[in-house]
Amino acid sequence: MPMRVLALAAVLGTGAVPAAEYVPLAGGTFASVLPADANAADVAVAPFRLRSQPVTNAEFLAFVTTHPQWRRDRIARVFAQASYLQHWPSATQLGTSALAPQPVTQVSWFAAQAFCASEQARLPTWNEWEFAAAADGTHVDARSDPVWREQILSWYARPSDQPLAAVGGAANLYGVRDLHGLVWEWVDDFNALLVAADSRDQNDPDRLKFCGAGALNLRDRENYAVLMRVALLSSLQASDTTLNLGFRCAKPADLNP
Amino acid sequence: MSRYLAALFVLAFAATLPAAELPGDSIYQMPLALVDQDGRGFQLADRAERPQLVSMFYTSCPYVCPLIIDTLKKTQAELAPAARAKVDVLLVSFDPARDTPARLKQVYAERKLDSASWTLARTDERSVRQLAALLGIQYRALAGGDISHSSVLVLLDAHGRVLARTERIGATDPDFVAAVNQALAAP
Amino acid sequence: MNMRLSVLMATVLLAAIQPAAAAADTLAAAANPGYVHGDFGPPRGDPIHAVLTSPPNVPAPTFRNYPAKVIVELEVIEKELPISEGVTYMFWTFGGTVPGSFIRVRQGDTVEFHLKNNPNNKMPHNIDLHGVTGPGGGAASSFTAPGHESQFTFKALNQGIYVYHCATAPVGMHVANGMYGLILIEPPEGLPSVDREYYVMQGDFYTTGKYREKGLQPFDMEKAIDEKPTYVLFNGAEGALTGDKALAAKTNQTVRLFIGNGGPNLVSSFHVIGEIFDRVQQEGGTHVQENVQTTLIPAGGASIVEFHTEIPGSYVLVDHSIFRAFNKGALAILKVDGEPNKAIYSGKEVDSVYLAERAGANLAAVTQATKAAAAGKLTKDEQIKAGQQLFAGTCSVCHQANGEGLANVFPPLAKSSLIAEDPKRTIQILLHGLTGKVSVNGKDYNSVMPPMSQLNDDEVANILTFVLNSWGNPGGRVEADEVAKVRAAPAVAPAAGH
Repeated sequence: MPMRVLALAAVLGTGAVPAAEYVPLAGGTFASVLPADANAADVAVAPFRLRSQPVTNAEFLAFVTTHPQWRRDRIARVFAQASYLQHWPSATQLGTSALAPQPVTQVSWFAAQAFCASEQARLPTWNEWEFAAAADGTHVDARSDPVWREQILSWYARPSDQPLAAVGGAANLYGVRDLHGLVWEWVDDFNALLVAADSRDQNDPDRLKFCGAGALNLRDRENYAVLMRVALLSSLQASDTTLNLGFRCAKPADLNP
Repeated sequence: MSRYLAALFVLAFAATLPAAELPGDSIYQMPLALVDQDGRGFQLADRAERPQLVSMFYTSCPYVCPLIIDTLKKTQAELAPAARAKVDVLLVSFDPARDTPARLKQVYAERKLDSASWTLARTDERSVRQLAALLGIQYRALAGGDISHSSVLVLLDAHGRVLARTERIGATDPDFVAAVNQALAAP
Repeated sequence: MNMRLSVLMATVLLAAIQPAAAAADTLAAAANPGYVHGDFGPPRGDPIHAVLTSPPNVPAPTFRNYPAKVIVELEVIEKELPISEGVTYMFWTFGGTVPGSFIRVRQGDTVEFHLKNNPNNKMPHNIDLHGVTGPGGGAASSFTAPGHESQFTFKALNQGIYVYHCATAPVGMHVANGMYGLILIEPPEGLPSVDREYYVMQGDFYTTGKYREKGLQPFDMEKAIDEKPTYVLFNGAEGALTGDKALAAKTNQTVRLFIGNGGPNLVSSFHVIGEIFDRVQQEGGTHVQENVQTTLIPAGGASIVEFHTEIPGSYVLVDHSIFRAFNKGALAILKVDGEPNKAIYSGKEVDSVYLAERAGANLAAVTQATKAAAAGKLTKDEQIKAGQQLFAGTCSVCHQANGEGLANVFPPLAKSSLIAEDPKRTIQILLHGLTGKVSVNGKDYNSVMPPMSQLNDDEVANILTFVLNSWGNPGGRVEADEVAKVRAAPAVAPAAGH
């Protein structure tokens, strides 16, 4: 019941933004770059649904309109640093530097969390994101395909001074778009990737620093494409924002499809 | 089930106006419901008015978490006597599934924690992630039931702002102790 | 009063038998049981903002005799820059250049280091300075997301010339993209004064395209792991230190080179053609070696070399693993101007043999030809001019700049009977090489010409068009698509007893 009220409020409040599309992913056992434990076991990803596209400026504008405490000029500093949504012409307007169909960036983890909650969703976990991102147009796991890696590495090589493309790039096997080549994306457990700030310390026996298994070892160090993503997420605090970082949301699998 | 929790979260958020008296960088801006070792519910923001020493742990942790408790005790002991009475200790569990209030109560007794100032608490999984993000603590559940996590002691002032942090566990951190004394000396 | 007097006398006595700094060090060690070597006490005076310079320039000496607090601010900028003529690469830079800015402090200084990550960057970065004593060399304390700044402070305990580089995962890629530079920690008494100081740093680069393949080239991870570089360069680009950008000095000057090797993979055999190093601080250490021809600089290492100039000319800095110099770009020039000194050297200038064109305008005709070819309007004249520039330094090394070859060793190209007989055979020779006996202009040659596999179709066509139209050869033209056809066909077996 509360959901319907909120949905109605959202529609009445903004009128214009259609509901986001979520596509189902079957999940399964998966060789993650971050192993489940010290013995480098595969992880199990439960079935889930993922937003087919990252959240856009238009969608985020609708959100801050109905949830004004997340506006740039009202947000508590503990939830986002000063550069939050700085590229928007004003706290409640989009413009040439922030077009409606572009993915929203300069958003903190707290803001992303709140947005996802507003559409009865949550941020994907690293494993869920990794699972979805391993697919290309035809394979569930394309990570050993040099073409897949090169596509990603070439995004890293492209300069950032061009305006962001709009969402809606080529879909992968599941119908999910823009996981690569557009923006970095927040995940729910971004702060749990446990890469030591100096990545050469991977076997450092400083066990007092990380209770449990010691810092987890990254499998597959040759897969630079994924390593870079782990490095970027590990460098962030929850209130940070960057020009190249956006997000999308996830939901549990739909039991009544 | 999670849908309702999510909706509840948003409603709770919408309902809680950012308190006029809470500074923008206070972690109490985040609505967060916890339950202590005696089964009593409370909000994170209820801890305002008094400075807090906060950390996160879990009871099945074999190695470092007992050291976290020891370090907190030692840090308390090293405070000036007048200061010691003014600060509370809050330890929140990473592991709400296994760390029930009963289990927390057990640990409370085992470690002979001071009932006047210590609180062991648990909250839901989503709030654990939020609190860890606010405190800058990293953690990850491993397949075998262990949780790999960083160990941090955080000092909050009476308004919930982070004043000092230390990652030194085992021995007390003199700079951290000095920061606590300083915070408690101020009127 | 007595104490100070005796300390003063002891210092004077020690100074008489040891350099001043070692005396201060020894004295301090004797006086304080907990003394840390290189720690000259707390910083004195006002904090100093370090002046950093872009390569190949070096900041002025500190001219200080006391430890100070030095504030260093360094920004990481990811930017697209030329790596060769018509070729660009996305470099990740410290301070906007490859190598990064040069930092100069004094032993005992307390350095407050600010690392900034430009908000337009995509990647997080950090810094490991080899002169830092502390975890990760600073890397653990400087991991910085785009749009943020990190600060950490260290005391420079050891004098020397040290590499700094980014150490963010994947480290090899960050280094391969140009994230390295040098920090000089001066000895307390300063370095002896010289006339010129320059900053040169070698690095290996890995692109998916071949050497000199045009356009924006991405990083190639496989080649980097296999340690098969496409380019080996001084200061991040082919031609960075040649032509109008060559290093400059006059005769009768002492030149000091701070020469580093960022790697990521290769070790450098550093040599200056035509000069001998009077002083080498091998591996950047304190003890000096003298009279050295070629010095090894490890990956992630650096050295200081000094020499005195006597004769004017172009002196070529190379990695003496010589194919890197001529086929991958590891080549720089120091141009020395002044009066000749025939008593010391009487012969021709070095540059007319090696690289006349490379000491001058950099391959401008090649760029012109590339543009014309792309527009579909390449003329024979443009091909000849481009071919002439490419001929120098590649073909001229054996066949000589005038095409005369070397008697009994390398056949001539000038008025060549082989070329006259079948001009298009040259395409196959260039692409697949030629071994075994061959007769040119009535003389026999029996040598090995390696296949010039580093040349692309355009370059082969232009070089051959130049050769066909030079030194009395029959003329005509070779086009890029002809070359492509020959390249695709299998190699003809070397003709025996031709």
